[in-house]
Amino acid sequence: MNKTAFKIFVCFTFLSSFIATILLVINFLGFLFVGSDTTTQIHEQSPERMLEQISDSLETEEGGFALSDESLLADDCFCILIGENGNVLWSQNMPGDIPMHYSINDVARMTRWFLNDYPVYVRTRDEGLLVLGLPKKAVGKYAMAYSMEWFDSLPRRLISILVLNLLLAAVLALLIGSFFYRRITMLTNGMSELRQEKHVSLKEKGIFKELARNINDTSLAIHRKNAALSVRDHARTNWISGISHDVRTPLAVIMGNSQMLENEKELSEENKKRAAAITGQAVKIKKLVEDLNLISSLEYDMQPTDRKLVRLCPLIRETVSDILNSGLAAVHEVELDVKDEKMTVLADQSLLQRAIFNLINNSITHNPGGCQIQVQAYADGKDAHIYISDNGTGMPEEVIERLTDQGADMPRTAHGRGLFMANRIITVHGGSMHVHNENGCVVEMILPLA
Amino acid sequence: MDELKNKKLLLVDDEKELLKTTEAVLRSEGFFNIYTAENCETALQIVKTQPVALMLLDVMLPDGDGFSLFAKLRQITSAPVIFLTAKGEAEDRIHGLGLGADDYIVKPFLMKELSLRILAVLRRTYQKSQQEPAFDLGARHIDLATATVRAEGKEQVFTAKEYMLLKKLYENQNRIVTNDALCMAAWGDAYYGYENTLMVHIRRIREKIEANPSSPKHLITVKGLGYKLVTDDE
Repeated sequence: MNKTAFKIFVCFTFLSSFIATILLVINFLGFLFVGSDTTTQIHEQSPERMLEQISDSLETEEGGFALSDESLLADDCFCILIGENGNVLWSQNMPGDIPMHYSINDVARMTRWFLNDYPVYVRTRDEGLLVLGLPKKAVGKYAMAYSMEWFDSLPRRLISILVLNLLLAAVLALLIGSFFYRRITMLTNGMSELRQEKHVSLKEKGIFKELARNINDTSLAIHRKNAALSVRDHARTNWISGISHDVRTPLAVIMGNSQMLENEKELSEENKKRAAAITGQAVKIKKLVEDLNLISSLEYDMQPTDRKLVRLCPLIRETVSDILNSGLAAVHEVELDVKDEKMTVLADQSLLQRAIFNLINNSITHNPGGCQIQVQAYADGKDAHIYISDNGTGMPEEVIERLTDQGADMPRTAHGRGLFMANRIITVHGGSMHVHNENGCVVEMILPLA
Repeated sequence: MDELKNKKLLLVDDEKELLKTTEAVLRSEGFFNIYTAENCETALQIVKTQPVALMLLDVMLPDGDGFSLFAKLRQITSAPVIFLTAKGEAEDRIHGLGLGADDYIVKPFLMKELSLRILAVLRRTYQKSQQEPAFDLGARHIDLATATVRAEGKEQVFTAKEYMLLKKLYENQNRIVTNDALCMAAWGDAYYGYENTLMVHIRRIREKIEANPSSPKHLITVKGLGYKLVTDDE
């Protein structure tokens, strides 16, 4: 499963549920706040409050009642006082369609609903019932009654609504999220394939259309660039191979003739030496051409053509023997310490031999005064380690630096070319090479075991 | 040896100058029956009329490549072929040898190398029943043909393995032969694990060829690498 996309998916689901719950709580509180405003405002005060003030200022006069402050009662409202016997004892602003006598039924109906369509509020007094009437249609009245059970189970029901809501939000988020998840998975897969420089072709649709198109375009651009690079590299490799081919034939003529001159009886010793010098230099050019070809093919083709299982210990022994057999000066000594006879690597045998040869040869040529060379090899878990060290003058720092610099181009002169080539060979075999100075030069090569 | 140098050689190369030089080189090395051709057609004509013993073919020719010429020549003669090429690429080499060529030499070459390779191929092809060499090591005379060593009138016989090891060492005399190469010579490709047995056989050989087997003078151990048969008479 795609990790990034999965993370996004999980976050998205949680976030959606969280937001939904928060919104629900906020809405609930908001509803409470708005809905609780049942204090109907008539002339900037609630009818209850108005009624209370009227009641306070209603004073008993001889044989009747009177408001001490008549401004308390708004003009469009009216007020009556109904006595114990059902007759109106006092009234103010009373419209004509209001009866003067009320039965118990009338009172019960009016307190709950309306009095002749006038919304009314009542207040009990010692003398009877004080009734405040508001203009018609000013207030709607609805009777609400809830059982006590309803109130008892209210918290439980509120919580279950919350939980249900949370679940619903989670399910919806999952559904929508899984849609996004598929799209994002596609995109992240595309991205990681892009990084591996594979060819990517995503469906360009939906909200990520733009993104998908960008990824596709980038893939195409990388593809085009790589193709151009490979064409150029290929051309360069072919060019170098062609040049070296063209150099070889005249060189063969030079070498053939110079060697015949070397053996010519009529020539003086001095001239024979001159001919031998020509041969010697021609051999140098030949080696150079071979190196050039090898480096260029390692550089651009990157894949050794002839890979097979190679046992490292015999290969090292053979290489060291070849060097010793080719006549090593007595001042140089090669010591061998190879363990783990069974270790094998997948490699081009002749290339690997070339790398080891170059490194030992480096120690020999850079220490003409003589040195001890140690070749060690052992296996360690997944890798084979080969150490080639000497007790000579050591490697110049700039050569080591150039080796560790991945972007460095091949050395322009013969100086350091052997080392560079060895490094290339080890690298194309999926290994790594490290050089440092420690009582001489130490080269470590690490190759993955087969 | 001279008998081999009598053999007719055919040189095919499109570079006139190189053709001339190579011919001169081979003549100076003692070969004198040399035919040259600059293209496939001439080469085929010569092979049809002359009993050519060995052919040196350039890979690149004006009227076709050396590989296809090789295929045509094979229909006429089974004489050995050495490819002579300015291309050094491994694939070309493998392709050439895969077709059944006997050797592959990359230009430019040293005269000695060319003549030795030609002689080696000729010897392989035309001297099947080659005489096994005999040689002296100090006061002892070793005859590989009979696999015997003679010293002070006494004669000892080498076992089969001892003979194979000694032959391998003699073929590379005065050079280090690795343990691996020796084991391969005696036990073939699946030689792994015979190192200890090798030591035993070397000890037995020393007992037969060394005056003092515990301090050998001819069959020298090269620590960590292998052995060396010293035949230099100093």
